[in-house]
Amino acid sequence: MKTRFGLGIILVMAFLISVPFFATDYWITLLTLILIFAVYASGWNLFSGLTGYTNFGLAWFIGVSGYVSSLLIADYKWLWLFAWPAGALFTGLVSIGVGYILLRIKGVYFAISMVALAEGTRELFGTEYLTPITHGGKGLPFVAGIRLPTLYWSILLVAFFSMMICYKIFSSKFGLRLIAIREDEQAAETLGIHTTKDKIIAFILSAFLVGLAGSIHFTYQNYIDPTFAFNIHLTLTPIVMTLFGGVGTVFGPVIGATLFTLIHEILWAELTLLYMAIFGGILMTLILFFPQGLLGWMKEKRILPRIRKI
Amino acid sequence: MVNFIEILIRGVMLGSVYALVGMGLTLVWGVVGIVNIAHGEFVMLGAYFTFWAFTLLHLNPLLSAAFSIPLFFFAGMVIHKRITERLVREQELSALILTFGMSILIWNLAQFFWTNTYRSVSYLTGNFPFMGLVLAKSKTVSFGLAVGITAALFLFLKYSKWGKAIRATSQNSEVALVCGINTVKTRALTFGMGIALAGAAGAIISLQWVIFPQMGGSYISKTFAIVVLGGLGNIHGALVGGFIIGILEAMVTQYLSAKMAQIIPSMTILIILLLRPTGLFKK
Repeated sequence: MKTRFGLGIILVMAFLISVPFFATDYWITLLTLILIFAVYASGWNLFSGLTGYTNFGLAWFIGVSGYVSSLLIADYKWLWLFAWPAGALFTGLVSIGVGYILLRIKGVYFAISMVALAEGTRELFGTEYLTPITHGGKGLPFVAGIRLPTLYWSILLVAFFSMMICYKIFSSKFGLRLIAIREDEQAAETLGIHTTKDKIIAFILSAFLVGLAGSIHFTYQNYIDPTFAFNIHLTLTPIVMTLFGGVGTVFGPVIGATLFTLIHEILWAELTLLYMAIFGGILMTLILFFPQGLLGWMKEKRILPRIRKI
Repeated sequence: MVNFIEILIRGVMLGSVYALVGMGLTLVWGVVGIVNIAHGEFVMLGAYFTFWAFTLLHLNPLLSAAFSIPLFFFAGMVIHKRITERLVREQELSALILTFGMSILIWNLAQFFWTNTYRSVSYLTGNFPFMGLVLAKSKTVSFGLAVGITAALFLFLKYSKWGKAIRATSQNSEVALVCGINTVKTRALTFGMGIALAGAAGAIISLQWVIFPQMGGSYISKTFAIVVLGGLGNIHGALVGGFIIGILEAMVTQYLSAKMAQIIPSMTILIILLLRPTGLFKK
């Protein structure tokens, strides 16, 4: 079982690495987007899926990291290779403070405070006071000088890296401690789990991974502005993808991201005007009738083994 | 000085509308235990109801509220019975994500059918001169309407049988159930009232500002700020919170910039949640 699983991963990776050699730019772009959202969704799942603290401010990670790396590339002429980790590291560092302060707030309040953080930062970046640094609301177009295949391989590496981290964490004691926090935080604390520390570590890891993908996302778009960078859709889409694939499963977010991006491609072309309504309808249906997601459902029906490693 | 008083009055009038939206959200939150993210969308629908009644049927906007409030009330009851009641015993977060889905569903449908055009109800234009101050007619009438609805709500909650049931369920739904209160019905009633308040607020907003499909989004962060200021489920708190946010917004817009005024709700939410998570008032 284990060797077959490993072989499968190697085959999939080999195929994905070879894609730029035979596929058209359209497919490389589509795969790049799938991988970016797969990292967003896995990052969200890593923190929220395990701890039960719903992060409604994922766009904040994406926007902050995207802004730092974009500004480094555009204004300070950094190479993208250094700007991306710089953005992600900065986001991770700021998240220590943010996590320390905001993770004391529980439940819905935490969700709202994260929305407030993302929305507040979006407004702040657009004000005249920060315009000298952020270029204000009119946005910042820039060229990073990176070719599409290189960008694709980079995000593939990041996605692989974050999958490995998720896989390791979900089957580790650390993951178990986070699940204990989700099920009953007080009980977890009574059992001697340092809940604040564990929550913050998961939060920072999530911030770093999502931030890294966020930096790549904006380099790929060659443009950033506050509305775009802190857009609520950047928070929502990964959450829907995770719900679709299965919250708290290792591969659910990736499967969700893949299926959802493909559905998006079809819907966007056919039904541009009603796209968001369909999106909202799917979200409601998922919560009402399918709350465990695809992988959760397969585990429930014993199509897949009921282990935390999947 | 006159200028300052004028801005203060503007803030209070703004606050009365915000309070209406905030009270609806906090009522549902406190009694049903559901954070209705789609609340702002019902405000939008309320505004469109008034607009269409005025444009197509030439119905007086003040009169159309008399039709829209019962309509929204029943729509809210139905939505709750069909959809949200299933989530009462679930995690709060399921309801959060579900109502988010509802919110984007509603605004996108509105956008689809009514397009993105900015619209407004041109009724009661002009000003009242009042002791050397200039007050917009529409805003003054809106203020009166908002105060009237708020007073009716308070009287209902304080003295009517169902009002008492709502307050009891809000305090402790299990004990209320044991005391013979039909909590399922009470929750549906409360949800209906929350939606009706949103609809009423929308009707009032349509008299003063432009309406467009995504306007709900601009109210939801203010509404959360108000609810957080007042404390979860605290209707009196939401009333005061509404006025605080309204006055702050009017002041900051005047003395700093309109952009800075946009940051106030998020700042308020963060500061209050960190310093006094239970809101400004003791329960």
